[in-house]
Amino acid sequence: MDLEDDTTILTTLKSFNSFISQSEPPRGAILTAPPTLQSQYKRSFELLEAAEKVQSKTRFLQLDQEKKQMELSHKKARLELEKAASDSARDLEHEQGRNQELYARIKRLEESEAQAMERLKEQQETQRSLRKALDSLNKSLEEKEDKLSTANQTISSLQDEIRDLKLKLQSQDSTISTQGLEKEELQEKLLLQQRKYQDVSQLCQSLQAAQSTCSEHVLKIKELERRLVLQEQDMSIVKMVKSEAAKVPELEKELKRLREDNAFLRENRENCSLLKEEAEGLRRKLERAEKTREELLCLELDKEKLAAKLEAWENLGQSSGLNIKSPEDLFREVMQIQQREITLKEQNYMLNSRVRSMERSQSELQSEACQQRACTAEEQRRREAQDSLVRRLQKRLLLLTKERDGMRGILESYDSELGATEYSPQLNRRVKEAEDLLQKTQSHNTEMEAQLTKAQEECGFLRLQLHTVEQEAEELKRKQASAMDSVSAVSKEEVAILRQKIEDLEAERQRLEQLNGELEMRLEKHTLQGDFDPAKTRLLHFKMNPTAVAKQQRQQEVDSLQEEVTRLRELVRVVQESGAQDESSVLGLSLSLPPSKEVLELRKQKESSELKNQRLKEVFQKKIQEFRTVCYVLTGYQIDITTANQYRLTSVYAEHMDDSLLFKKGSSGSMQLMETEFSKTLGEMVSLHLHHQKSIPAFLSAVTLDLFSKQTVV
Amino acid sequence: VVKMTSTLKGITLKGSAELVAEFFSFGINSILYQRGIYPPETFGRVTHYDMSLQLTTDPKLKNYLTDVVSQLKEWLFECTVQRLVLVITCLETNDVLERWQFDIECDKSAKESSAPREKSIKTIQDEIRSVIRQITATVTFLPLLETPCAFDLLVYTDKDLVVPEKWEESGPQIITQSEEVRLRSFTTSIHKVNSMVAYKRSDSM
Repeated sequence: MDLEDDTTILTTLKSFNSFISQSEPPRGAILTAPPTLQSQYKRSFELLEAAEKVQSKTRFLQLDQEKKQMELSHKKARLELEKAASDSARDLEHEQGRNQELYARIKRLEESEAQAMERLKEQQETQRSLRKALDSLNKSLEEKEDKLSTANQTISSLQDEIRDLKLKLQSQDSTISTQGLEKEELQEKLLLQQRKYQDVSQLCQSLQAAQSTCSEHVLKIKELERRLVLQEQDMSIVKMVKSEAAKVPELEKELKRLREDNAFLRENRENCSLLKEEAEGLRRKLERAEKTREELLCLELDKEKLAAKLEAWENLGQSSGLNIKSPEDLFREVMQIQQREITLKEQNYMLNSRVRSMERSQSELQSEACQQRACTAEEQRRREAQDSLVRRLQKRLLLLTKERDGMRGILESYDSELGATEYSPQLNRRVKEAEDLLQKTQSHNTEMEAQLTKAQEECGFLRLQLHTVEQEAEELKRKQASAMDSVSAVSKEEVAILRQKIEDLEAERQRLEQLNGELEMRLEKHTLQGDFDPAKTRLLHFKMNPTAVAKQQRQQEVDSLQEEVTRLRELVRVVQESGAQDESSVLGLSLSLPPSKEVLELRKQKESSELKNQRLKEVFQKKIQEFRTVCYVLTGYQIDITTANQYRLTSVYAEHMDDSLLFKKGSSGSMQLMETEFSKTLGEMVSLHLHHQKSIPAFLSAVTLDLFSKQTVV
Repeated sequence: VVKMTSTLKGITLKGSAELVAEFFSFGINSILYQRGIYPPETFGRVTHYDMSLQLTTDPKLKNYLTDVVSQLKEWLFECTVQRLVLVITCLETNDVLERWQFDIECDKSAKESSAPREKSIKTIQDEIRSVIRQITATVTFLPLLETPCAFDLLVYTDKDLVVPEKWEESGPQIITQSEEVRLRSFTTSIHKVNSMVAYKRSDSM
């Protein structure tokens, strides 16, 4: 079929070409014969139609070919698909068979699983039952064990108890034995104590008797001592009085002498006062005389000065060249001069007023000139401002034209591209953005221009100020120069006055500075001392501060001490009233204080020792006294100890109280008879018994016998 | 043991208040020991500011000082305290014998800005050490306190301060005829403390 198509195509092409070549030669003939144009045109038109037909045929053939190809391909595909389908069907059957096999297996397995589960459950049940049996057995075993252990513990405890009880029995037996022994010992001690008690009671009774006598003797001794003290005081008073009495005549003599001196001094005093008055009068006279002398000197000086002045005045007329011979001439001259001065002063004042008016006019003109200059400067400034404005406006114009051109170009570009309606919203947005930007730039521009105008105005203003200041400075300089030239008295006076004021102010400033310094020092001293400003400062301290606490404690101590003092005073009063006998009551009062145990014991010890001492003293005294009386009675001599080793013997039968013998104990221990008046009368017996027989007892007995015989005889 | 309450970089208001309160605590203890207000055996030795100082062990006194110093620390932080005075009174005659006065100047701009100030703690401690040494040296010229004495602490604060519970108003307790001596001062760059002592002239006693 293809070949047929191709051949048709070729044949048609050939026919076409032949037709075309046929048409060419007749084209030359067309030019000579114009009516054949139409036929040629028709021919060409027919050729065109034929060409078109050929073309359509070829297209048709092509399409047929394509269709056939497509059908072939469709068939092939169908065959392949059928093959695939058959393959897949076979596979499917295969799979299904396998599926069924698997299902059967699954069922078998499930059955076996169920059986296994049943077996498992049965076994679990048996296991549980077995476990329960085991548990019960275990429990019973444990109980039995517990019981056994408790039984063991009770057995051990009972054994311990048995041991303890045995030990206790033993210890108690031992204690019983020891206590029996102790009881025997105590009984023996008791017997001893009873015997001792009896002895001690006897001693107590004897001691009490001795104590009573001792206390009586002590009282007597105290009385005697008091009397002795009083006597000694009287003695001392008597001595003082004696000495004073002895001084009396001397004092009388002195008194007389002093009275005489007094009278003498009084006379002298009167004389002195008189003399003093005279001296005062003389001194005053002297002062007056000196004053008059000084005045005299001054007056002489004044006289000389006045004389000189007078000479000067007299010579004035000659020295000044005027016709002056008397004060009237001088007066006349002075008047003339004064008149001349007045006229000159008037002229001076006129000139001054003219000068001032000239100066005023000058100053006014200068101020006008300043103003004019200021105006010109302002005009200049305005012109400059205007120029700058013009320039700015021109620049703005340029910018605006440029913007406009730019906008036009953008718009043209957009117009050229304007085919799709999608661009219009974008365009509008872009236009809006551009407008906003433009506005912003314009506003920024206007702001900058405004700032620039402001700055330029300020600059112009400053320049004006500068001009005016410079002009003022020039004026001041000119004024200064003029002031220096024309020094008027008025300005001088003003300057002097101002200087005076300045000095006063300086002095006051220094004074105020000094005052300030003093006040600052005082303030410093006060702050050091601790002063403060109550308006700004507050002073606080802790309520429970150590000073308050210490004061409280001190107050409490003081109160307690006062109480103790009053109590002690009462005690003392009580003691003084009752006397020393009531020692027990004193002790009781003092014991009302809470004393410590040690103090009580010590007091008791002290009392007991004092009592012992006293009793011993009394006993000794009593015994000694007894012994001495017995000796006196038996031997007939009273032996007294006068000083350390001297013994004085007085006989019972002595005729006079002073008759006594004095013996001294020597260093070797032997007794020696000392010389007394009585021993002088016993010279014979001394020589016989002491020198020959060397026996003092014989001597003493001889003396006794002698005296006794004397007494009885008489 | 020095507590570094202020950062190593500088002194804050809180750190300065703590340093000044610490100085007052040790200073008051030194004065009590030197003047013999309390027996020396009630003081124990501690080391601080690189020197050995005496600190009381009496519990009542310790409690009192702790209360006062803690309140003082608060007031230093608020910059409302102007002066601290230690007054020594004779118990028998109720006369004021000595007055130790510490003026405090506070830089209030430190309250607004919380930036720490540049001053090294070592410098401040050296200054404090010299002040305490000077206090110890004053014993040479101060008259002896022979009678039993007690002390009190007075605080001069701003007028509009709220009075705390345990405090009350008091008089200035000025000595009648006094000699004053100005001692050294120290500054933490936020608080400046000037010290001075006033004592009763001995010929008027």
